[in-house]
Amino acid sequence: MNEQAAYLSDTISTIKAGAGVLLPELLLAFFFLLLVTLDLFKSRSIKQLLPWLALTGLFAALLIQVYGGYSSGKESFLDMLLSDGLARYAGVLFSAAGIFTVLLSLQNKALENLRQGRGEYYALILMLVLGLNLMAKSVNLLMVFLAIETVSIASYILTLTLKEEKRAVEAGLKYVLYGTLSAGVMLYGMSFFYGLTGSLHYTSEGFALALLRADTLLVTVAAILVFAGFFFKISAVPFHFWAPDVYQGAPMPVVALFSTGPKMAGIVVILRFVAPFTDALAFRDVQLFLGIAALATLAVGNFTALWQQTPRRLMAYSSVSHAGFLLTGLLAFGTDYTSSILFYLTVLLFMNFGIFLFLQIAEDAFKVEKLADFSGLGRLYPYLGVLALLYLLSLTGLPPLAGFVGKLLIFSNVWEAYTLTQNSLLLALLVTGILLTGVALFYYIKIPFYLFFKGNQTDEKLVISLSDKLLLGLFALALLVLFFKPDLLLTWIEQLLTQTL
Amino acid sequence: MNFILSSLIFTPLLAALVVLLLPVRRQKAIKAVTLLGTLVQMVLAILLYFRFDGSAFANGQQGYQFVEKLHWIGFSLGTLGRFQIDYFVGVDGISISMVLLTGIIGVIGVISSWTITKNVKGYFLLYLLLLTSVTGCFLALDFFLFYLFFEFMLLPMYFLIGLWGGPKREYAAIKFFIYTLVGSLFILIVMIGLYTSVIDPQATAVQLGLIGAGGTAAPNAILQVQQMLQQNMVSSADMVRTFSIPAMMEPANFIPGSLLHVLSGVELWYLPIRFIAFLLLFAGFAIKVPSVPVHTWLPDAHVEAPTPVSVLLAAILLKVGGYGLIRIVYPIFPDAGAYFSILVGGLGVLSIIYGALNALAMNDLKKLVAYSSVSHMGFVLLGLASLTTEGVNGAVYMMFSHGIISAMLFLVVGVIYDRAHDRAIQNFRGLAKVMPAYTTFVIIAFFASLGLPGFSGFISELLVLLGGFSAPEATGMLPRWLTVVAVFGLLLSAAYYLWALQRMFFGKYWIFPELRAKATITDLNFREYLMLAPLAVLALLFGILPNLLLDKISVAVTGMTQLTLQNGQEQLELVLSSLIR
Repeated sequence: MNEQAAYLSDTISTIKAGAGVLLPELLLAFFFLLLVTLDLFKSRSIKQLLPWLALTGLFAALLIQVYGGYSSGKESFLDMLLSDGLARYAGVLFSAAGIFTVLLSLQNKALENLRQGRGEYYALILMLVLGLNLMAKSVNLLMVFLAIETVSIASYILTLTLKEEKRAVEAGLKYVLYGTLSAGVMLYGMSFFYGLTGSLHYTSEGFALALLRADTLLVTVAAILVFAGFFFKISAVPFHFWAPDVYQGAPMPVVALFSTGPKMAGIVVILRFVAPFTDALAFRDVQLFLGIAALATLAVGNFTALWQQTPRRLMAYSSVSHAGFLLTGLLAFGTDYTSSILFYLTVLLFMNFGIFLFLQIAEDAFKVEKLADFSGLGRLYPYLGVLALLYLLSLTGLPPLAGFVGKLLIFSNVWEAYTLTQNSLLLALLVTGILLTGVALFYYIKIPFYLFFKGNQTDEKLVISLSDKLLLGLFALALLVLFFKPDLLLTWIEQLLTQTL
Repeated sequence: MNFILSSLIFTPLLAALVVLLLPVRRQKAIKAVTLLGTLVQMVLAILLYFRFDGSAFANGQQGYQFVEKLHWIGFSLGTLGRFQIDYFVGVDGISISMVLLTGIIGVIGVISSWTITKNVKGYFLLYLLLLTSVTGCFLALDFFLFYLFFEFMLLPMYFLIGLWGGPKREYAAIKFFIYTLVGSLFILIVMIGLYTSVIDPQATAVQLGLIGAGGTAAPNAILQVQQMLQQNMVSSADMVRTFSIPAMMEPANFIPGSLLHVLSGVELWYLPIRFIAFLLLFAGFAIKVPSVPVHTWLPDAHVEAPTPVSVLLAAILLKVGGYGLIRIVYPIFPDAGAYFSILVGGLGVLSIIYGALNALAMNDLKKLVAYSSVSHMGFVLLGLASLTTEGVNGAVYMMFSHGIISAMLFLVVGVIYDRAHDRAIQNFRGLAKVMPAYTTFVIIAFFASLGLPGFSGFISELLVLLGGFSAPEATGMLPRWLTVVAVFGLLLSAAYYLWALQRMFFGKYWIFPELRAKATITDLNFREYLMLAPLAVLALLFGILPNLLLDKISVAVTGMTQLTLQNGQEQLELVLSSLIR
């Protein structure tokens, strides 16, 4: 009895000691509960307040992680969660994604007309960001699974926000089915790892050593199974099938969030997970699998996007192709690729929110459903058109926009890694990745093509709200600044990463 | 420090900002601002031209004139050292001619654009952006900066063709964009490879503590760093990687063990990787030149583009391709340049003949001119491949002279199109009777282009052919029959020009009946004199007094050629020996 009590008090004191690590998450959880509770009241004024409360929570989380005084960075919470520089920077990105999502939602027409569940919607965004934070902080496979499930469940419900629409229901169903399947496969793979190494603490040295001693074939199979779950989150081939339908069915801000948040978190988890697999001799097959997956993701994403007729589906495949670029960057073993990946993720955040905000305006104000519906909008609204052009060029990866720097950094890492290992897979990835940019231009340019080259369909002048314009300009400004002075951000990322290593 | 180069690059951008702030309705003001901007740029270019010292030879890190070097992006890569991008511009004998050309054509283009009525503000905004990026391209000495301007050229051009072009403009615009983007992606691959392989010796010396920060380039320290580097004595954390083109030109700056190092010994598809890099770069710039077989975007783009845009495209944008070959491809990969001279020269001759044959078959006057561009740009490749002093000087001279003459040719086509809304050769006859002044300019343009002595085209073709013929003995580069075949190109160009002249301008006056209703055939007006006369004078001036240009370019070009030749043969042996080992 006494022993148990002593153990319990011990546990409690370690929890208390490590709780600092969880400060942003606790904050988010608090605001989540606050929102759910307040949503029960019928008063209109309280309901009006909810989005702003969500914003406050996200802002607070953002500030805490930017200044980061809450933890020394080396402590971990029960060996489950680690708040190192990587997690901190990822947390900043997630909070920013959450903030942008709420801002977009405030402008969204479909959400405005939503009769019930608006409070719940904002609460779920907080929930999702919380899950993302946990994903980035997890250093234990079980915790990874729990975090991914938290994100998934929030995502399923967010997809179904517009319950009355058939496409939303279809998308939600597909999402749940694929999601549970890949989660199951991933859990199965994790159980292999536990069996092989006797540990779930996948960033520890013991784990890596045990892997080297284990049977290579089993490790490869287990790794592939686990990657299934990660690939689902970042929408990499062959787990990308949900993306077009979900992008078609979910409200625009949620799509923007899906295209950035879970993808960023998934990449961070993979970043931690691949660290033991850098040995090219022992894990040749795992690397081969990742390389082929990256190649397939690049090819499928870019080539399928060519045939799309609706902007939402086009962006879904564009997001698949970006997953391919990120995977390519992850394979540059032996180089300092983490900062490049984080830079790319940051750029992706601004590009995607920019273009989705543009699509939201186009959909709400001009009823754009197909690419052809963009006809003449750019001529009528030059500001809108030019900014859309900027986002699309950045997505393609052309200068003078940050998308170019992101790709440049990733491909220089790949080249460097090729110099070190002369692994022809890397060369194939490099050449494919760069040349597919030409293909990417071909589908991205379709939107400006209709915007500027085709005649006007309507002549009615609509007023676009100032906040929309400001937000659009802000995202574009970020892309320009990150092109002309990428070292500002890179230095900060590098600082964060070295502080805690 | 001298800011003349930055002023050259950013004057059009400044004008563009002013245009952006002007209201759409003030069309006159927009045009005036654009004209003013280009005039200032031209004056600056001419000033630069006269202040440029033609006797100084640019070699390696030193010798570029009016250099501006500002730290732009610098970032520590941890164990992999630092990477550094500079705002690094400078001018030497190769770029001075191109800058002068850009200045002149910029103004002529605005005069020719005066009649634009559709969306004036957008048009001139894009026009100015295009000028900025082209000028930047010609002056950049940092590969990243060059690439930035190179890529940024595509976008304004895409919209200029796509929005203000002819009936098939959308197709032509997208074809142009995709072709040139794919070309620049090839360049990007090599750029990444180069930047991971090359260090900046001066900055590395600072990093190693051999010279103090901000210290001037002491030749000894640089030499020491290069020796240390080649003996693997510089740790990778101290290396400062760079995009600087002059640094890339020195083999001593390549990191041992990097793929593009002369002794890397890495093979890919049975070729040393340096050769692959050369081929990729060559392909990228050949699309821009354009050389057969990647020229097919050019006729479409030219035919659909409005006259002033065609002028810019032919006179300046194509030159970026040739300029890139001379500035970047050959000096950085001289070994592969020597190895592939037959390929480059062969494609050049193929372009000369194939372009000329196509021009002969065209019924559309603008297509004829477009294919004649392909044919004449072939001479640039031939001259470059010969690697002789005459040949490369001729190539640079050809780029300048073709810039002047092709601008004139496209303007001439524009004049008839403005009047008849048609430019099919068979729809006109005896135009000389009603448009005598116009016919005079057409004759000048045609004869200048076909290489009549006394015009600048003659000098450049002569130099290239001289280079080609002396190449087998002097440099051992090209077989003589190749140059012999190229001479037939001259014959063919005389044929298509004279035939077109005879069909359209001589004989009894007649135009196709269906055109008569819309056409008002009048002779040149003042504006058209203003744009054609200066070009005619220039074509004559540079034909009679070639030294006017050669004095400025030949020292640098000759130096570059000899260096390329010498380095090329040395490095070629090293590359091939490292493979056998």
